[in-house]
Amino acid sequence: MLPSDRIPAHVFFEQHPDAVFTLNAAGEIVRANGPFAELLGCPAAQVAGRSFWACLQPGERERAGQGFEQALAGETCVLDLALGGAVSRRMTCTLFPLLINEQVQGVQGILQDVGPPSQAEKGREPEHMLSVIFNTIADVVFVLEVGEAGSFRFSFANRAFTQTTGIPLEQILGKRIEEVIPEPSLSMYQEKYRLAVATQQRLGWLDTTVFPAGRVTGQVSITPVVEADGSCRQLVGIVHDQTSVLQAAEALTVSNERYKYAIRATTDAIYDWNIPENTLFWGEGFEALFGHMLVQNVSNLDLWAEFIHPDDSQQTVYSLMQAVEAPHVRYWQGEYRFRRADNTWATVFDRGYVLRDAAGQPLRMIGAMQDISERKEAEERQRRMAQEVFKQNADLQQFAYIVSHNLRAPLANALGFADLLLRTGKDTEVFDNSLKNLHASLRELDAVLSDVSTVLAVRDRQEVPQREPVHLAGVCQRVAQSLIDSLREADATISCQLPDDLQVCGNRAYFHSIFYNLFSNAIKFRADDRPLSVVVTGMQTPGQGSTITVSDNGSGFDTARAGTDVFQLYKRFHPVKRGRGIGLFLVKSHVEAMGGTVTVESQVNVGTRFILHFS
Amino acid sequence: MRMKTFLIDDDDLGNYLTETLLRLEGFCDDILTFQLAEDALQALLQARGSEIPQIIFLDLNMPLMNGWQFLEALAPYQGQLLGRCHIYILTSSLALTDMEKAKTYDLVAGLIHKPIDSDEIRAIRSHLEEQKA
Repeated sequence: MLPSDRIPAHVFFEQHPDAVFTLNAAGEIVRANGPFAELLGCPAAQVAGRSFWACLQPGERERAGQGFEQALAGETCVLDLALGGAVSRRMTCTLFPLLINEQVQGVQGILQDVGPPSQAEKGREPEHMLSVIFNTIADVVFVLEVGEAGSFRFSFANRAFTQTTGIPLEQILGKRIEEVIPEPSLSMYQEKYRLAVATQQRLGWLDTTVFPAGRVTGQVSITPVVEADGSCRQLVGIVHDQTSVLQAAEALTVSNERYKYAIRATTDAIYDWNIPENTLFWGEGFEALFGHMLVQNVSNLDLWAEFIHPDDSQQTVYSLMQAVEAPHVRYWQGEYRFRRADNTWATVFDRGYVLRDAAGQPLRMIGAMQDISERKEAEERQRRMAQEVFKQNADLQQFAYIVSHNLRAPLANALGFADLLLRTGKDTEVFDNSLKNLHASLRELDAVLSDVSTVLAVRDRQEVPQREPVHLAGVCQRVAQSLIDSLREADATISCQLPDDLQVCGNRAYFHSIFYNLFSNAIKFRADDRPLSVVVTGMQTPGQGSTITVSDNGSGFDTARAGTDVFQLYKRFHPVKRGRGIGLFLVKSHVEAMGGTVTVESQVNVGTRFILHFS
Repeated sequence: MRMKTFLIDDDDLGNYLTETLLRLEGFCDDILTFQLAEDALQALLQARGSEIPQIIFLDLNMPLMNGWQFLEALAPYQGQLLGRCHIYILTSSLALTDMEKAKTYDLVAGLIHKPIDSDEIRAIRSHLEEQKA
């Protein structure tokens, strides 16, 4: 049997299954057993000396303090307490005075597990949940206490408040809004808050304020909490931060603006072709460039293809389709003629970028049509000019060659006959012939020189000096009249059948020269065995211009053997009979200077027909 | 000298001059004049034995068939004509290119600028005699 006085008091203390402890009058732990240390989750040796209050949940300290005071006053007190520490637990705490020599020296306590939570405790769970929610949601949540004279003080703010604004919680809680919110937002806030209090209505607005964390833009909602007596002493605020969303939207707006101005700055027609749906969207430039007023902006590729010049259409559409269907082709470009609204043609350079999905299927094509008509025309003008210069250069070389030859031919003859004159006696036939031929050669030389000056004059003056409606029948008859002697000599007739009202815009002197040279040629190359008959006819077809024909029944020539261009300078194609090869050159030069064309048909020993056309 | 000569030139004054000079120099009596190169070509291709001219004076600048075309037309018969028929180009042209081009034809024995003179006629004769010897 174990005598009771042999059991040390501390054994009971230390082996007690419940957490047992002793506090001094200041509330510090003097001693505590193992289960107490276990509850706190720290080694037993470190428990002594700690403040009992520090072991509790912060909200419990007040009640615990009251119980402590009761115990110190000599009463036993039982309370529910939530312990802090590693695992927060609700315990039943029994506090009673530590009496030594009838004196209260401290407080002793026992902590016991309460078991399943009571109904009251369950009621506290949502509070805990709310605390978790408030401190984890991204939205800023705060509560303002409405003070006298319209002052507002932060009584609650969640972590998001700090994260969003960059202001630590301790600089918010309990502070007046003037101490937290910077101007100019402050004044506006105060106004809004007062309005919310006065109207007792929820207020919302989009707000931007510069906080230590930076510019914050958010959707603010302020809800007044209306008490049972109808007063409003609290405002609940929620701010949904939209800074990043708005920044993205703003960046997009800026980029869109830039794009819009870029499109406006370019004179190109920008398009966006949705390939699977075959819808085509045109930028503003399309109407400006081509003048087409689109009934609806969204069209399709067929409309585009319809505007392409028939000669370019097939090739262009084919090349586009080839590019779009080839999975690796990113860019397509083409040059084609595109119809303007006024039915003229614009030369267009078109370049597009094909967007594809991962499988290489075409999704969209974004591109621009550039009107390069002016550039094209300039290029064409330049090309024509270069060609003209090249041709003129070649002509000049040819001209120099032929002139030197044609000048030298009569000169050589003249030299030869002069030589013969020296060698033969005066009264011989050779002498007489030589003298006659010397004259003939010199006259020929003179004619060649005069031709040269005529040709040079024609070459120098490519443009017609003066254009006026010329009454052709009158000119024709005057030329025929001037040749009357030659005609009579050759037993030839010229029949002018030009309509009396036929007028062609050109130069009177040129038409004179044209008729003169054509008639002279007809006389020169007439057939020996029949009287020459020259017939001039004319016809004016509205919209197609005028056609004049000069036909003769002369010796004609073999068009095949005469070669490509009988109008070439110094080109002769009549055997034996002397021609200097300048008449037709002049005819052609004059006709072309007036914007006309001249062609010739001929048959040996039948006749020749010249056809002049002026549009 | 028994020599047959063709004179091909569309310029009748020139032909008269050349013919007169040839006769005065006693170059030959048998001179045939053609104002159309085509006619000369026909005559030449139909000529047999002694009918083939030893000398042809050929103008370059003529209508329809010019001197160069005449030479081209003769190319297939070059074998039969070489050594028997000597062609002298007789032209009023002073162009060097004509001179150069003339050298490319084997049938062309020389190029003479119009008007032909006595020295040139004598030179041709002595050249022919050398060949015969």
